Amino acid sequence: MLVLFTDTDTDFTPELAKQYDCHLISMPYSVDGKTIYPYEDFDVFEGKKFYNMLRSGVLPTTSAISESRYTEYFEPFFANGDDILYVHFSRAMSMTFGNMDAAVAKLLEKYPERKFYTIDTKGITITSFIIIDEIGQMYKAGKSVEEMISWAEKEVDHFSTYFYANDLKFFKRSGRVSGITAAMGTLIGVRPIIHINKEGKMVSIGKERGKKNALNRLLQYTIDKGEDIKAHKVVIAHSDADEDVAELKALLRAQYGDDLNIQVVIANPTSGSHCGPDCVGIAFHSSGRE
Amino acid sequence: MDRLIDGALFENMVKGGAENLYVNKSIVNDLNVFPIPDGDTGDNMFMTIDSGASAPPDGQMSLGGVAARIAHGMLLGARGNSGVILSRIFAGIAAGLADLQDADIKTFGKALQRGSAEAYSAVSVPVEGTILTVFRDAVSYAGERLGDDSTLDSYFMDLISELRNSLQRTPELLDVLKEAGVVDSGGAGLVYIVEGMKNVIDGAEIGGVQTESAGGPKHVNIATFTEDSVLEFGYCTEFLLRLQKSKVDLEKFDIDAFTDLIKSMGDSVVSFRDGSIVKVHVHTMFPGQVLNECQKYGEFLTLKIENMMLQHNETMIENRFEFTVEKPKKKYGVTVVASGQGLKDTFVSLGADVVVDGGQSMNPSSGDFIRAFGEINADTILVFPNNGNVIMAAQQAADMYDKADVRVIPTHTVGEGYSALSMLDTEGKDPDQVAGEAKMYADGVFTGFVSRAGRTTVMDGVSIVDGDYIGFSDDIVYSDSPDKCEAALTLCERLNAADFDVILLLCGADATEEESQRLCSALNSRYGDTEIIMIDGGQPLHDFIIVLE
Repeated sequence: MLVLFTDTDTDFTPELAKQYDCHLISMPYSVDGKTIYPYEDFDVFEGKKFYNMLRSGVLPTTSAISESRYTEYFEPFFANGDDILYVHFSRAMSMTFGNMDAAVAKLLEKYPERKFYTIDTKGITITSFIIIDEIGQMYKAGKSVEEMISWAEKEVDHFSTYFYANDLKFFKRSGRVSGITAAMGTLIGVRPIIHINKEGKMVSIGKERGKKNALNRLLQYTIDKGEDIKAHKVVIAHSDADEDVAELKALLRAQYGDDLNIQVVIANPTSGSHCGPDCVGIAFHSSGRE
Repeated sequence: MDRLIDGALFENMVKGGAENLYVNKSIVNDLNVFPIPDGDTGDNMFMTIDSGASAPPDGQMSLGGVAARIAHGMLLGARGNSGVILSRIFAGIAAGLADLQDADIKTFGKALQRGSAEAYSAVSVPVEGTILTVFRDAVSYAGERLGDDSTLDSYFMDLISELRNSLQRTPELLDVLKEAGVVDSGGAGLVYIVEGMKNVIDGAEIGGVQTESAGGPKHVNIATFTEDSVLEFGYCTEFLLRLQKSKVDLEKFDIDAFTDLIKSMGDSVVSFRDGSIVKVHVHTMFPGQVLNECQKYGEFLTLKIENMMLQHNETMIENRFEFTVEKPKKKYGVTVVASGQGLKDTFVSLGADVVVDGGQSMNPSSGDFIRAFGEINADTILVFPNNGNVIMAAQQAADMYDKADVRVIPTHTVGEGYSALSMLDTEGKDPDQVAGEAKMYADGVFTGFVSRAGRTTVMDGVSIVDGDYIGFSDDIVYSDSPDKCEAALTLCERLNAADFDVILLLCGADATEEESQRLCSALNSRYGDTEIIMIDGGQPLHDFIIVLE
């Protein structure tokens, strides 16, 4: 049998994962030297509390998971004679996949009959979310792994994400966005707009003054780049910015009508450790990423 | 037949290396680059090699014996990342020379190779473009050229030539070096050491240099880590741990597993074992945690923990010594004029290269601008004068300056300057376009000021009372009130603040915290749809500057 895996960096929660019979790999973050594994060390992610902690000045770090943890996740299924499809967050964003490769290589030596497939969503949080959400439906519908992989080869580039950040200190520290230059220090009142490109990397593509303009810019990207937008979900992620999300939803409803299928998620804490509080992003089906 | 290296010669070579590094260590220190702050590399490397060179004699005269004594001494004295790696190089060399009375150049070359391999294996994540690369390149280059007619002299000539070449290549391998316009400091230290060794081979006397360990308290500026500082780089933590039989089975102690444990708590990990002594170097946010974990295996012989935010406090001075490489010229540099510490800091964080002190009460001269331009290495320098009375001096300086294309963006207020700079995006644009956009951003801004009135009069239909606060913009007075917050609020109303996206409130040196907070919350309740941002600008003269964007 084929077993489906994803990870918590995709904003998938255990309830969502359960809907698709999907297994979750927990991607950790650390606060004050204590490493926390989402949904293993807690049951429910309290977003408000977490992002308030970041507002108060706490800067969490994130780390790769060890080879042995990957082995613990995967081995029981290989031992049981199952194959694995792991739909994961962007390989280009983390060193963790080196450990995964090492674990899988050893496991496949031990279980030479078994197969390990991956789909790189080339994104994180909602970029990955919107893709795993569609793959989960295919999986539930009994599609073959080949069908899912060939779908992904075509479609991954057609899920675009645009978001704005509020406080650059988180991004600057993690060094995970290119184009955030020294000339973009404390951008008070100005928000950089970030896109996740075809390579699965975050790039800064401009800035907007004031929240209203930033939200309108997200809407404008949706209008300019959107393709078959209503045939798919539109997913909004935020790091504790309920009011801004409500505004963005209203803008989208005004543009597309009430039948637009909008889902809102709160950005997982591990990704949130890199973007900080008050970010808002949108993922949708597009004519292609930049 | 060529000269053999024996114990006495090797010891003198190491001493010569230490002396030459000592003479040049300030050059090496100056190569330290942010953000890999790890103390002063030159001092650290000198202390490391010196503790090997001055290790007390133990009766062993053979080459193998002397090399082992020196390596052990360096182990005990190793400091800093490069120092620890240096000590590993010499440990590998000692292992390669073990049991030998003396060595010919081929054997010696092999021992150096072993030193390189040992150094790589001690570093958890070897970084290329460092002392590791420089030494490996040189050893392999000189090794390849070893032939039947090679001599000690020719081998060291090859070694030094490739050390230098490889050192010059380090900025290509490591971006932080390229950005800082320097070569790797540890690699540079190594060049001096090997040059010193070669000098001894050539017959130089040792002992001519008075070396003293800079072991005293280091000058650190604790003001660089304040109540508001964020610990970004953690603590450079180094110690020697003596494994204790009561705590751990010495036979079964696994240094790799131990290193993994350290790695889980920090980075820049270098750790290795020499008998029952374990040397650890790690950059960690939580040194206490590291120490607690390690004490489970033994007790500490020496300990050093330094906050790395304090280590790189000295301003980078543009030194043009032998090892600097051309600092990459930026496309755009930025000069702004501002007064008040908070405002200056804000401009620096926005990307200003140089902030010229000045403003309403003190207008900088053209000479001040030319000095500022001289500090920037850029094709185009953008200047934000931020005051109507300063624009001409800036333009005059721009016309006089010929080392860069200087563009004056005629900003009349700090608000305009702030706005233009914060929205500026230079990526892939030509100077005309950038300057045009900057001017456009500046033009969309209104700046209001609140200051204390100096006399009683009537202006623009507003009755002004001496000692009251007036709100004005573009030399037109809009409000007067004994209360500075009221004056500011009326000013905002008159300037139609509700129509803007952002209200930026710059609080002056004369505005108290209470007044600033009061005004900020009043603005918040009046202009709910507008984003209100407060900055402690600390500017003189203007209690508040209100920027409407």
